[in-house]
Amino acid sequence: MSEKMSKEEKKQARKNRKKMKAGRLAKREAITGLLFITPWIIGALMFLAYPLITSFRYALNNIRITPLGMNFEYVGYENFTQVLLSDAEFPMQLADYVVSTIISVPIIVVFALIIAIMLNQNIKGKGFFRLIFFLPVIIVSGPILGMLNEEGAGSITAIDTQAITTSIQGVLPSSLADPISSIFENMVTILWYSGVQILIFLSSLQKMDRSMFEAAKIDGGSGWECFWKITLPNIKPMILLNIVYTIVFISNNEQNTIIELIKTSMFAGTQEKGYGYASAMAWMYSLIVVVIVILFAVLFMAKKDVYEKQVKKAKKAHKKELRQLKKIERRSARNAKKNARAGRV
Amino acid sequence: MRKKLLVLTLAMSMVVGLVGCGNKGNGNGGGGGGDSAAAVSGETEAKEINGITYNRATDLTDKNIELTYFHFDQNETVEYLADRFEEIYPNITVNPVYENVGTYNDTLTTLISNGESPDIIMFSDADAALSNFWVADISAYYDSDPETKELASTINECGLGCYSTSKRYAVPIKFFPGVMYIDLNVLKKLNVEAPSRNWTWADMIQLIKDCTVKDSSDGMPYYGCGFYNRLDSYYGIAAAQTIQGEFGFDGTDFDLGVWAVGEQEFAGLKQGGYIAPSSQTVEMENWMGDWEQWCGNSGHVALFTEAFWTFQNTWNTPTYHEQYDLDIVPYVVPAVSEEDAAKDHHTIATIDFGGITTACQYPREAYELLKFMSFGKDGWKTRIELYNDETQVNASGIALKYDVMPAPITTDSEIWDGYIEMYCKGMDETHVGYWREFFESCLQPIPYGWVSIAGYWNYCDQYFNKLGIHDLVDSGKGKAADYADEATEKANYYHAKAMLDYFGKSGYDVLSDEEIEKYETMEKENS
Repeated sequence: MSEKMSKEEKKQARKNRKKMKAGRLAKREAITGLLFITPWIIGALMFLAYPLITSFRYALNNIRITPLGMNFEYVGYENFTQVLLSDAEFPMQLADYVVSTIISVPIIVVFALIIAIMLNQNIKGKGFFRLIFFLPVIIVSGPILGMLNEEGAGSITAIDTQAITTSIQGVLPSSLADPISSIFENMVTILWYSGVQILIFLSSLQKMDRSMFEAAKIDGGSGWECFWKITLPNIKPMILLNIVYTIVFISNNEQNTIIELIKTSMFAGTQEKGYGYASAMAWMYSLIVVVIVILFAVLFMAKKDVYEKQVKKAKKAHKKELRQLKKIERRSARNAKKNARAGRV
Repeated sequence: MRKKLLVLTLAMSMVVGLVGCGNKGNGNGGGGGGDSAAAVSGETEAKEINGITYNRATDLTDKNIELTYFHFDQNETVEYLADRFEEIYPNITVNPVYENVGTYNDTLTTLISNGESPDIIMFSDADAALSNFWVADISAYYDSDPETKELASTINECGLGCYSTSKRYAVPIKFFPGVMYIDLNVLKKLNVEAPSRNWTWADMIQLIKDCTVKDSSDGMPYYGCGFYNRLDSYYGIAAAQTIQGEFGFDGTDFDLGVWAVGEQEFAGLKQGGYIAPSSQTVEMENWMGDWEQWCGNSGHVALFTEAFWTFQNTWNTPTYHEQYDLDIVPYVVPAVSEEDAAKDHHTIATIDFGGITTACQYPREAYELLKFMSFGKDGWKTRIELYNDETQVNASGIALKYDVMPAPITTDSEIWDGYIEMYCKGMDETHVGYWREFFESCLQPIPYGWVSIAGYWNYCDQYFNKLGIHDLVDSGKGKAADYADEATEKANYYHAKAMLDYFGKSGYDVLSDEEIEKYETMEKENS
């Protein structure tokens, strides 16, 4: 009986050992993980990879959308050259977009930061003010924003935008003056775009350790100094995040004239334009957006601070010293052995 | 295990969702299939509904089928017509789908690219319809249908809907005749004699000049003309009877030399102060004291180039009769030469076309529905019944008669008598006479270029509108004649290119070798 039991026990033990094998566990965890990200993978393949590949295919073709299916005629890079050479509107609007984005992104981010800092203070009705600044994100979107702009709600009435526009046009060439003027003319719209950024900054400000400010205050640091030496370095990663978000938002916004131009070309339904032409436009536009994102990323990428660098350097030196010490120890041990052998001889 | 199940469920639901949202495939199959007849037999049987006797075609399928009618027409009217069609043909279900004209092409393109092509479509941009083979060749049905012989003469003589080919792709759905409205009260106030009913273009220009009085006794200036449509568009057709389209199009070539004369004349009138200010301008504010006002309310404008529907929509409404002292009567758009003016002649008109899509499985049945919705006598009998009933209203509560009501494009006297009686309800004999005379003279319509000429819209989009020629000439910065030669070359180039693209070997393939050679030469010469 006892022999039988021990056999069963052995079997069970083997099973348990199998179950507990580290490789299997890792494999199972990997599968579970994979299953968890499957919806995302499917989504990315269907809604990102597939449209990207399809739109690139479209860009290389002249497409007829017939009731019996889509007819493709391969034209190579003709759509791209057509967009650049035969249609002056796209390159012009693209140039306007680049200038206005480079100017309006810092305006939005700085405004969002200022408002976030103000909303982070201990003031009465804090929640109400936060709501006011976030409300445009919910209400003023898409067609409503378009209608408000048409009614002239996009500009600050107290500012004489006409005078600003005239003076800018007097100093700068029209290619630069026009996008800059349009920023002043649509100042309210631009500020309405900052709701999400305010929220991101606010969350980052609230996560900051208050003791740092207390310590700085004890050491006699002013509010101004605290902002530059503590607040700003701490929220620097969020600045980059907000910049990227703002660029993407501005670029995909319905109010963006290039989006409207691409849409118009897409549904023009003629031989010259259509899906292929619009896809070529979209690809070129995407490349420009990516370049702008890279430009801002390079400028605002968080650099390691001096203290961290010094700590790392010191650690490296310490490791080196340890290695040298070990080397010396080994050498002296070897020498001692040699000396001992020589003594016996 | 629970986690695994959760993940699997999520993944599955997503995949199922995606499949569900994906392409449903082209339900209409290859098009032109089924057991649909290849031509109109002309055999009918009488069927009476609501006191109207309909000629029910007997060569339609007995199967239960559904036809989708995609349109930007007046929605309540189309739904009423669809219901009546279903009563006449109980085995055919009509699915009318309305789309606002502003987003019409976008939605239609999206539907078609998703494989959800309707069976019948309306369109106002011929280039989109032709370049994408949206509409099928319906010559076999049209040519064998006796009713098509009774249409307004230019439809068949100028091949409107054939696009300079020997095939028919579209039929006129909505017809709004070109009209010149004259306010007889203004003429009385200014002591100007009403022009002859057979007036010429020169008479009209003279009237505009005579009726422009800047220092009037009542302190409010009078203007000769209030414009909605540009006079150069009217002139381009009125100039000669050989012209079959805008910009001097004769069926093959353009000649903008004709247009340039009208354009320059209109610019001269604008610069000379003979044209009433437009709404939302400083000039309007100074004249009528309100930025938003419309010159049609002023009682100080002699002639209007308004759309046909403005009369019923606006001037013939009780509000206008009560509030404004206007006496608007219609005049036919004058011809340039006295000889043409003395008889019925070509005049510009707003016509929306429609066709059967290439994916339609029951083209014979679709043709019958298309006819019912557009030029068909049975359809018009139903429309007149509907317009007579002023309890039938649109979404805003306005009787359908006052909501962009078109005119019949058939010459059938029974239909026209019914229409005029309905149209002129409440008018005195004199005014009925004006309208009757006008309707008798308006049946040689020539539509605007974008619905009737291949490549026209591309030309406007890529060249004419981009240069902003109208603005340049109107403001005096340029002379129309200086643009005429280049504009003619470009128009011919875009037309030739479109003809080859749409109807050449890679298109519908209906052009003969000689025609292809002709258009290739034309394209090369004008590129």
